[in-house]
Amino acid sequence: MLVAAREFLDGEGFTELVAPVIGPVTDPGARGAKQVDVDYYGHRYKLMTSAILYKQAALAAFDRIFYIAPNVRLEPLETASTNRHLAEFHQIDVEMAGASREAIMQLAERLVGHVVRQVVAQLPGELASLGRDTSMFAELLSQPFGQRSHADAVADLRGQGHDQSPDAEIDWAGEAMLSRKASRPFFVTDYPKGSRGFYDRESRERPGFLRNFDLIAPEGYGELSSGSEREHDYATIVARIRETGENPAKYGWYLQMVREGIPDSAGFGIGLERFTRYVAGLDSVWQASAYPKVPGVALP
Amino acid sequence: MSELRADGFPEEAVRERARGGAATAFPDPGEYGRVLFGADPTESAGAAADLLDRLRLVPPIFVPHRLERLIDLAREPMYRDVELETMVGGFRSTLPIYLSAFGSTRATSGDRGLAVSRQAGRLGIPMVVGENVMPVKGYGRIEDHAEQSMLGRISTYATHALDGYGGVAIQQSTEDADAEVWNLVYSDPNVQSLLESGRLAFELKVGQGAKPGLGGMTVLDPSTAARLTDAFIMDPVFGGRGDAVLRCGSPGTFTDEILRQQIRLMRNNFPQARVWVKLPPARDVREAALVAWEAGADAVTVDGAEGGTGWAPVAFLAHVGLPLGECLRRLGEAREPSQHRGGEARAPDRHRGDRPSCLLVSGRMWEGARVAKSLALGADAVGLGRAALIAVDTDAENGLVNLVGCLSLELQMLTSALGKYHVGLLAREDVWSPDEPVHPVPHSSSTESVRS
Repeated sequence: MLVAAREFLDGEGFTELVAPVIGPVTDPGARGAKQVDVDYYGHRYKLMTSAILYKQAALAAFDRIFYIAPNVRLEPLETASTNRHLAEFHQIDVEMAGASREAIMQLAERLVGHVVRQVVAQLPGELASLGRDTSMFAELLSQPFGQRSHADAVADLRGQGHDQSPDAEIDWAGEAMLSRKASRPFFVTDYPKGSRGFYDRESRERPGFLRNFDLIAPEGYGELSSGSEREHDYATIVARIRETGENPAKYGWYLQMVREGIPDSAGFGIGLERFTRYVAGLDSVWQASAYPKVPGVALP
Repeated sequence: MSELRADGFPEEAVRERARGGAATAFPDPGEYGRVLFGADPTESAGAAADLLDRLRLVPPIFVPHRLERLIDLAREPMYRDVELETMVGGFRSTLPIYLSAFGSTRATSGDRGLAVSRQAGRLGIPMVVGENVMPVKGYGRIEDHAEQSMLGRISTYATHALDGYGGVAIQQSTEDADAEVWNLVYSDPNVQSLLESGRLAFELKVGQGAKPGLGGMTVLDPSTAARLTDAFIMDPVFGGRGDAVLRCGSPGTFTDEILRQQIRLMRNNFPQARVWVKLPPARDVREAALVAWEAGADAVTVDGAEGGTGWAPVAFLAHVGLPLGECLRRLGEAREPSQHRGGEARAPDRHRGDRPSCLLVSGRMWEGARVAKSLALGADAVGLGRAALIAVDTDAENGLVNLVGCLSLELQMLTSALGKYHVGLLAREDVWSPDEPVHPVPHSSSTESVRS
């Protein structure tokens, strides 16, 4: 799958960079998860929960970049039973200067399609031995992905009697319900502000809503990817940092860079183990890792 | 005797209650029959008294609620029949009392912090753990001195908690966000029993009573200060004194949109935890409370200018912030009728416009009358701060339990005198102000409206 992903992104003109492992700050946008502190010569550094801030920095050198990035998030213990959370995981982490949300969603769709097509074509024996019915990919390979707004997804869930907050991310149970109803992957767009990190750009036309998306796999496998257009205006970013309860002081280097000017961009990260679970038809995401770290479970 | 002092606070009276419990609600029984009593008009309503002190609780003659209770009981109700159980910010509490936040100040450290936690748990009342406890004292999972840490306080509370009652609210301010206190607590196996039983809340600290407009301040020894220079500003204001450094937190920058989004993000990130928001006695406290409730906060806590266990500049203690009585007057105009009042606890559905509007207040609370007046002016519960610390300083085993025992007896006597048998029914009609009417005097004379 990684070979296919690299092949596709290389063909689209993306440069692969090596992601940082630690830094003074990392992505604060992970729902409820704790960052891992590292004592870096007396300074509090963090293991990367995602390299989003560094992806934006990398656009100073290349217009199209990607990482295969290792991430660590000490997820809440409730996620140990979702079958789709690992404390240590990898992302196919893509960022593109000057891109709109529509352009980056289209790229994500073609990337997922390419990888699935390659796996189905090249590894039929492996998929058969895993008991994966490849006819389940027929719609993915022949039709455009679906798309619905967050508000529409909330209304759907509430219509089914699920108590989903309109101000928050789709909860784990709700996401599984939406995913089970679908027969091909679909995007959920326009999450409300207050459900995501400060770097997802707020719509100018619809204040309070973000120019972002999640990509949800069908058959109950749930979220594969999150992405967005990015905020790049300095004053807006400082205000958004406060809205997420953060102290802007710790983002000193990032804010200095934003002040000097960074390109507008859009990007996404695909959870590699989740993607593998979906393609291979595994019961749980831990089966997609050789050294799985299920939240709260002490394993090698 | 301890070194702990509380100048300007009725410290001796609190210590007496911490030793003597409910009996101290009355004059010394030895004086009965030998001393003539009567109200001292200068004592309760003197010029220096604050707005709440100047109010009087005024019982009615006609008491329809008492009739309801009489019918229930088939006998005349007595003050011990007054029910005190109250929902406090989403937690079931044995009475409308919670323990206010104590931060990392030295007065609250070590044994006192643990004694307070232990007794609050036994009483079945919620407890707030103050900001900066973790950055300053540590969390306690893998550090030494675990008993002084945040986890030490939480686990002590949980070990002694009355089954089904109480809860712990963990405060975080702007500086704490660097240490991700909430994220750590939320994912900690040691805290899961509280989380799963719905007894964990996170309190967003917007400000506090003792120094509205300033951030947290503590005095540290130089070696502790050196360890914390990454997280806090150290002000060398004490100059020549080599043993003391002033640690300053930032007050944090808020607009209505910043507050609204911070609350939404808390609900998004910690869906199983309750959300509390602590406001300072600011001139726009009403507007901020409305934003917080509308964004889905389970409770808004308002600390009157009288409040605060913390270290504050002299000018702030004497001259800055609204008194609690004025906060309550302003907030009274803002509140919807609460779902929590009147005894029937019902969980509001926050997603269907059915907003909770639980109001918690603190500021010089230690006895029943001030508590009853605060409830009558619209609070759902009141916080004990200095009084709790002095009580456990007096008696580490039972001081707070005794103090609260006395307070709850007073609350029962006052509520029943007002003709009511659930503490949540106290309302503005129950108080009179010599300064101005706190509510319009109704034209009809005999019946009172029933709030529930």
